[in-house]
Amino acid sequence: MARPSLFSRLKRKQQMKQSSQTESYSTKITKDLDDNLKNIKQMLGDPGDLVMRELMIGGMDKRAAIIYISGLTDENLINDNILKSIQLNLKKFDTNVIDHIHKEVIAITDIQKSNNMDDISFAILNGNTAFFLDGNETILLMSTGGGETRSIQQPESETLIRGPRDGFVESIETNMALIRRDIKDPNLRFKQHQVGKRSKQKLVLCYVEGITNPDIVEEVNRRLETIDIDFVSDSSYVEQWIQDSFLSPFPQLLDTERPDKVSSDLMQGRVAILVDGTPFVLIAPVTIGEALHSMEDYTQRWISATLLRMLRYLAAFFALFLPSLYIALVSYHPGMIPATLTYSIAATREGVPFPAAIEAFLMAITFEILHEAGVRLPKVIGQTIGIVGGLVIGEAAVSAGIVSPIMVIVTALTAISSFSVPSYSVAVSFRTLRFAFMLAAAILGLYGIILIYIMINIHIVNLKSIGVPYSAPFAPTFLKDFRDLVIRSPITKLTKRPTHLKPLDDQSKDVEPEKGQ
Amino acid sequence: MSTFKYADDKIKTRDIMIAVPSMVIAVGILAFPRLLSEVTFSSDGWVAILLSGLVAVIFTWAVAKIAANFPNQSFFTYASFLVSKPIAVILVVLFSIQGITLTAFEVRAITDISHQYLFQETPMQIISLTFLLVVVYAVSGSRAGIFRLNVLFMPIIFVTTVILVLFSIGYMEVKNILPVLKTDVDGYMQGTLQSALSYTGIGVLFFYISLVRNPKKAPRMAAFGMSGAVVIYMLIYLTCIAVFGQSATEVIRFPFVELAKTVEIPGGFFERLESIFFVIWIMAIFTTTVMAFDATIFALNSIFPKVKKIKLVFTLTPFIYLIALFPNNYLETDTFGDFVSYYGWGLSITVLILLWIMYKVKGAKKSGKK
Repeated sequence: MARPSLFSRLKRKQQMKQSSQTESYSTKITKDLDDNLKNIKQMLGDPGDLVMRELMIGGMDKRAAIIYISGLTDENLINDNILKSIQLNLKKFDTNVIDHIHKEVIAITDIQKSNNMDDISFAILNGNTAFFLDGNETILLMSTGGGETRSIQQPESETLIRGPRDGFVESIETNMALIRRDIKDPNLRFKQHQVGKRSKQKLVLCYVEGITNPDIVEEVNRRLETIDIDFVSDSSYVEQWIQDSFLSPFPQLLDTERPDKVSSDLMQGRVAILVDGTPFVLIAPVTIGEALHSMEDYTQRWISATLLRMLRYLAAFFALFLPSLYIALVSYHPGMIPATLTYSIAATREGVPFPAAIEAFLMAITFEILHEAGVRLPKVIGQTIGIVGGLVIGEAAVSAGIVSPIMVIVTALTAISSFSVPSYSVAVSFRTLRFAFMLAAAILGLYGIILIYIMINIHIVNLKSIGVPYSAPFAPTFLKDFRDLVIRSPITKLTKRPTHLKPLDDQSKDVEPEKGQ
Repeated sequence: MSTFKYADDKIKTRDIMIAVPSMVIAVGILAFPRLLSEVTFSSDGWVAILLSGLVAVIFTWAVAKIAANFPNQSFFTYASFLVSKPIAVILVVLFSIQGITLTAFEVRAITDISHQYLFQETPMQIISLTFLLVVVYAVSGSRAGIFRLNVLFMPIIFVTTVILVLFSIGYMEVKNILPVLKTDVDGYMQGTLQSALSYTGIGVLFFYISLVRNPKKAPRMAAFGMSGAVVIYMLIYLTCIAVFGQSATEVIRFPFVELAKTVEIPGGFFERLESIFFVIWIMAIFTTTVMAFDATIFALNSIFPKVKKIKLVFTLTPFIYLIALFPNNYLETDTFGDFVSYYGWGLSITVLILLWIMYKVKGAKKSGKK
C-alpha cells in the first residue's frame, strides 16, 4: 500500500489533535520484548480481553510472550499446541531460534512470520495468536481462530418441505465449506476481498471458472473494489453498494440463506458473494424471471412444480393488483362487475362512510402495520398480533362500519398472496409497488393502473443486474431459457445452462462422448 | 471470449420483426372495420385488406432493404450519400414532423377513446398529460429498452386479440358474412386505400434498421412482421363483420372495442370487457407512440449530434402536448388522423422512390464495396 498504514495514520491524527496528552507509542517492532508488548498494549488501548502471557522457553534461558484476544481464539488449542510445546521443549537452539521454534516446536498448521506492527495487530484482532521472542524482530502469527459461533441450522427465512436442511451461518469459513461440500469442482474459485475500512471484514466472491462468464466476474470484482464504508453489518450493504440502480424497487442481487441455492446458481453461471458476519449470501446477476422461483420447484415432480409456479405467478398478480383493481372497479367502472355482485357490494358498502380508495388504503396500511409489528415482536408475543389482527380486520372493522366485508376479503387474499412470493426482498418490492398501483387506481382508475404497469415495464427493460438486462430472458428473448421460466421442464430436459448469462460452458451435463473413446 | 453484447444499443433482426406490428397496430385498428365497411359491401373488405396488405408488405420490405443496404449507417448518413446533404436534412426534418404529429395524434386518440370508454368526467388534459409523461419516460430510457418493451407487450396484445376473437365465435352469424364479392371495383379501390392508411408508421424503419447489427435478414423479417399485422387486421375485420354485420359495423364508432363489450367471458366474473380490453390495448397504442417519438429524436439527433437526447425530448414534449390538445372534438381528431396518415404515406413513398432511384443511379457500386 502506498498510503501510510492505518495505525500510523490514526496515530498521526491523534497526535495532531492532542499532541501534548498522547502517550507516544512506536509502530516499529524492536528487539526488546518489553517494548514490543508495551507498544501492542497501547496500540489496542489495553483492553480487558487481551491476554499476554510471558513465558520462558523450556530448555533455554530465553524470554518470550504470546498474545491473543480471549473470546476470538480457541484457548485449548493455545494451551495444548503452543504453550505446552514451548514450555516442554528440551532442545537447545543456538542460532535462529525463531525458525527452530516455528519448524520444530509449535504444533499448529498455519503459521506466518511478520515484522510489521499493523499486520500483527490485525492478526490478533482476527483471532490469531502472536508469538514474541526477546531479542528478535520476527514475530510468529499462529492461526488459532475459534470462539463461539452459531451452529448450522435450518434457514428461517426460506423453509422448504423437501430439500437440504442446512443453512448458512455467520462465519464465512463455515459458509465457504458448505459450498465446497456441495461442489467438489477444482474450478470453484473463492476470490477474497476485504470490506470495511475499520472492520476489515472478509468478503469472498465465489464462482466456477470455466462456467461463469469472465465479464461478470470482472465487473463484480471491479464494483467490490469501490466499496468504501466503515463497517458492513450485513451483505445488504454490499448489495446496495454494487447494485446497478439505487432508484429501483427491484432487488438486483438476490439474497439467500440456502447453500443448495447458491450451489445450483453457481452451476448456472452466476456468482455468489459471501460476507463475513452474515448468513445471507448474495447471488448475481438475477433477472425478473428468477423472482418467483423457489428451490422447491426442483424437488417436486415437474408437473406439480410447474403448476405451483403458475400458482405463484397468479399470487404475484393478486399481490400487486388486487386492491387497486378493487378501487378501480368499485369507484370508476362498477359496470364491469356482474350486476348481482355490484348490488351486494353496494349493499355492504352502504354503511361505509369512505370512498373505496380510502377504505382500501386504510385496510392496506393496517395490514402493513400488523405485518411489521409481527416481524419485530418476539415469537411468544407474536401470536397476540395474530389475534388482534384477526379481530380488528375480520370482525370489528366491519361491524363498526369502517370497511366493507368485500374489502376484508380483498385484503386477506392480497396478504396471503404476497406471502407466497418465495424471496423476501422481492415480496418487499411488490409491497411498495402495490401502493403505487392503489394510488394510481384511486386517481385514474384502470387507466392509472395500466400506466403504472407500463412504467414498471419501462423501468424493468432499462434495468440491469451486473450488466445483464433485468428483463431477460423474456426480452431480449432467449427461447431456450423458457424451459425453466414459467414452466419447469423435466430435469432430464434441463441439460443446458441459462443462455442469457452467456456461460462459457453451456452444457450442464456431459453428453458429448470424449474424443478417442 | 463471449461478452454481453446484447446489453448495448444494438438490436436483433427478430426485434425488427416484432417492432413492425407493434408500430402498425395502434388506434387505427379500433375504428378500421367501420371505415372499411363504409365503402365495401358485406364482408368484402377482406379483399381490400389483402390488397393493401400486399402493398404494405412490399413497401415494408423495400424500406428495410434500402436501409439494410447501408448497414449500421444512420438515415442521415446514407441519405446524404444518395441525395446530397441539404436534401437529407430536409427529409429528416419532414420525418421529424411526421413523428411529432403521429405522437400527438396517438396521444389525442387515446384521450378521446378513454373519454368514451373509461371515464367521462376526468379532464382531457390530465389524461393526455399522464400518457405523454409515461411516453417521455420510455423515450428517455435506452433505445434497446424500447424494443424490449415491444417484445414484452406484443404477446399480450396478440393473446388478447385471439381471446377476444375466440369468445366472439359464439356470436358470429353466417348471414352477416354472405353474400361475398358483391362490391364494385371502385369500392375495392377505396377500401384498399382506406386500409392502407391504417398501416401508418413504417417510416421508422428508415431509421431503426441502422440499429441492427447484421441487417441482412432485416427486410425479410420486417416483411414477415408486417404480414403478421395484416393477419391481425384481417382477423379483427372479419370477426367484427361476422358478429355485427356490415350495416351495424358501419355506424359503430369503434367496432373492435364494441366487440369486447358484446362478448362475455364464460364464468361471468367480469362483464363489459371493453374497459379492460381497451386498457390492454393502451399498451399497443403506447408502443406505437413511443416508437414514433423515439424515431423523431433519433432522426433529429443525427442532424444535431451534439445536443443531448434528453434535451430534445424535453423540448419536443410541450409541442406534442399542444398539438394533441388542438382538435376540438372527435371529428377534428379524425381529420387530424387522416392528415397524419396521408402525410406519413406520402412522405415515406416519396422518400422510398427517391432513395431507390438514387441508389440505382449512383449508390449501388460504391455501397456494395462497403
